[in-house]
Amino acid sequence: MIKASNLFKEFKLSKKQKQENGTSEEVYRAVNDVSFECKPGRIFSLLGPNGAGKTTTLRMLSTMVVPTRGTIEICGIDIAKNPNEARKKIGFLTGSTGLYERLTPDEVLKYFADLHDVSKEEFEKRKEHYYSLMNMHDFRSKKIGQLSTGMKQKVSIARTMIHNPDVVVFDEPTSGLDVITSENIITLIRNCKEEKKTVIFSSHIMTEVDLLCDDLVIINKGKVVFEGSMEQFRTGMKSETLTGEFIRIINESN
Amino acid sequence: MKKILIIAKKEFLDMFRDRRTMIRMILIPLLIFPLIMNVVTRIQSSVSEKQAAEKLTVGFIQSQESIPAIKRMSQEPNFEFTSYTDTTQLRKDVVAKKINLGLIFSPTYLTDYTSGKTAQYSVIFRGADFEEYERLQKLLQREDSLIVDSRMQELGKSYSFLAPTKANEINVSSIKEILAKYAGGMLPYIFMAFLFMGCMLPAIDLFAGEKERGTIETLLTSPVNRAQILIGKLIVVTSIGLMSATIALIGLFISLNMLQADSEMMTAINSILSPTLIATLYILLIPLAFFFAGVMIPISVYSRSFKEAQSILTPLNIIMVLPAMAGFFPGVELDYFTAFIPIVNVVLATKAIMAGNADFVLIAITFISLIVLATISIWIAFRQFGKESTILR
Repeated sequence: MIKASNLFKEFKLSKKQKQENGTSEEVYRAVNDVSFECKPGRIFSLLGPNGAGKTTTLRMLSTMVVPTRGTIEICGIDIAKNPNEARKKIGFLTGSTGLYERLTPDEVLKYFADLHDVSKEEFEKRKEHYYSLMNMHDFRSKKIGQLSTGMKQKVSIARTMIHNPDVVVFDEPTSGLDVITSENIITLIRNCKEEKKTVIFSSHIMTEVDLLCDDLVIINKGKVVFEGSMEQFRTGMKSETLTGEFIRIINESN
Repeated sequence: MKKILIIAKKEFLDMFRDRRTMIRMILIPLLIFPLIMNVVTRIQSSVSEKQAAEKLTVGFIQSQESIPAIKRMSQEPNFEFTSYTDTTQLRKDVVAKKINLGLIFSPTYLTDYTSGKTAQYSVIFRGADFEEYERLQKLLQREDSLIVDSRMQELGKSYSFLAPTKANEINVSSIKEILAKYAGGMLPYIFMAFLFMGCMLPAIDLFAGEKERGTIETLLTSPVNRAQILIGKLIVVTSIGLMSATIALIGLFISLNMLQADSEMMTAINSILSPTLIATLYILLIPLAFFFAGVMIPISVYSRSFKEAQSILTPLNIIMVLPAMAGFFPGVELDYFTAFIPIVNVVLATKAIMAGNADFVLIAITFISLIVLATISIWIAFRQFGKESTILR
């Protein structure tokens, strides 16, 4: 369960940035009063054009950046008060997530399992589960630098899930990946839903959203411009296609 | 503490798998001194052997009177004397390297020689091949001694007539002290240069490298504080730096043993590199390593890529090298001023310990000032690592 209430994130602008943006404002507000709730067993999508504030919002949810104002609760834990407890509940994956190229998948998984205080027995069980699920046994002891993009993505997935997080955050998870590699992510997201995990993912690919999403929030210029279920989005459409409707909402809010 | 050790263990594993680290941090420090020493010794011995075996051709313009001198010098092996009549031609041949040297005896050479005057001659040589002149000089000095001997005999005086006084030098400095004074700056300099280089690569890789590879986000979303991440990585940076410096010291020790210096010199070197000195050196170098890491980490954290961090940190090498050279200047000593200057204080303190005249208070000041600096630099590193705008830049 994720509960974000009245989130604000402001970045201080340097003189150079002020000149470049042609503004006299001291700060740039990347996220402006955003609130939403993601429920377990449902896939929540955060949509928006480039620069809308999606990544900043997800970074706040995953405790990487601290909100300027507002609160976030992850499974009932206030992340401002207890960030490490909240982190134990979160799995985080992006399309550009890197891995330690000189380590093997076994070593990477062990590292993150240790950081998440996963017991040895639980680690072995979960590791074997993901190795079998994604056919990873053949390359488990190879250095990651020697693996293909698809293999690396499988390692990233196993790394995200090794501590059995209740909340999984995906920031444009298929960005830059080919169709086959993207399919691994899509399967992972579906599996998470089946396992009653809370899933939030950001994207600007409407076909992906249509395929997976239960609830969605569209943000533009840091503000929520649509909030509801996928069903509500479809019913209220004034354009013929999902992409067209998404563009219409963005244009209207500009 | 557990999380810090997990991070440090993983970073060690990662760094030791890196070929660059292995080459720069272990192989180069270990082999550089034995290699340099070996190459220099070989070149030196081969050059001097070659020079001694090489025949020197000396063109000369003689007066009848100089014949006895020429005759005597011609007896010397690997010397050939060729007679010339024209001074210009003689000079031209030396310039064109047809012959090695030219000798022009004055017409009154023997007359002056016998009448107690200064018998004159000129030597034409190429300054670029000065060693050739040095070889001839030895023969000419021998001729000079013969003249002095014969003159003394004529006068019925002994040689002591020309040497009215003689100082019997009593040097109370041990070889250890002399070595410490003139070569003492070398040891901490080497140690510090390798410490700095040793810290640099992991400092870049573990922060800027992690940002560039996109692994930092994953780490930041793990249940571990930024302070724990920083300390875990800091341990690795300083340990690899100290390891690199230690390996360089081992390499230096191996190369000194390869020198086959005389036993007195070797005993002095061994007594200088005593366990006390090494232990003191480490006590001073550990906070210095943390200071170096504390300076490098904020730069590395700020940089977007490995390359950017490297381009900023490499010039720092020069800033470090300059104060480290303080130990090479004989007059510069550890005092209440220099003890507060980082790097300079370590070099001078080591030098003082080597010479056996270290002041405990000054060593303590050096140590405390290094601890203070290390703490400040690590605090800055922590602040920088905690900044969202920097870490996710």
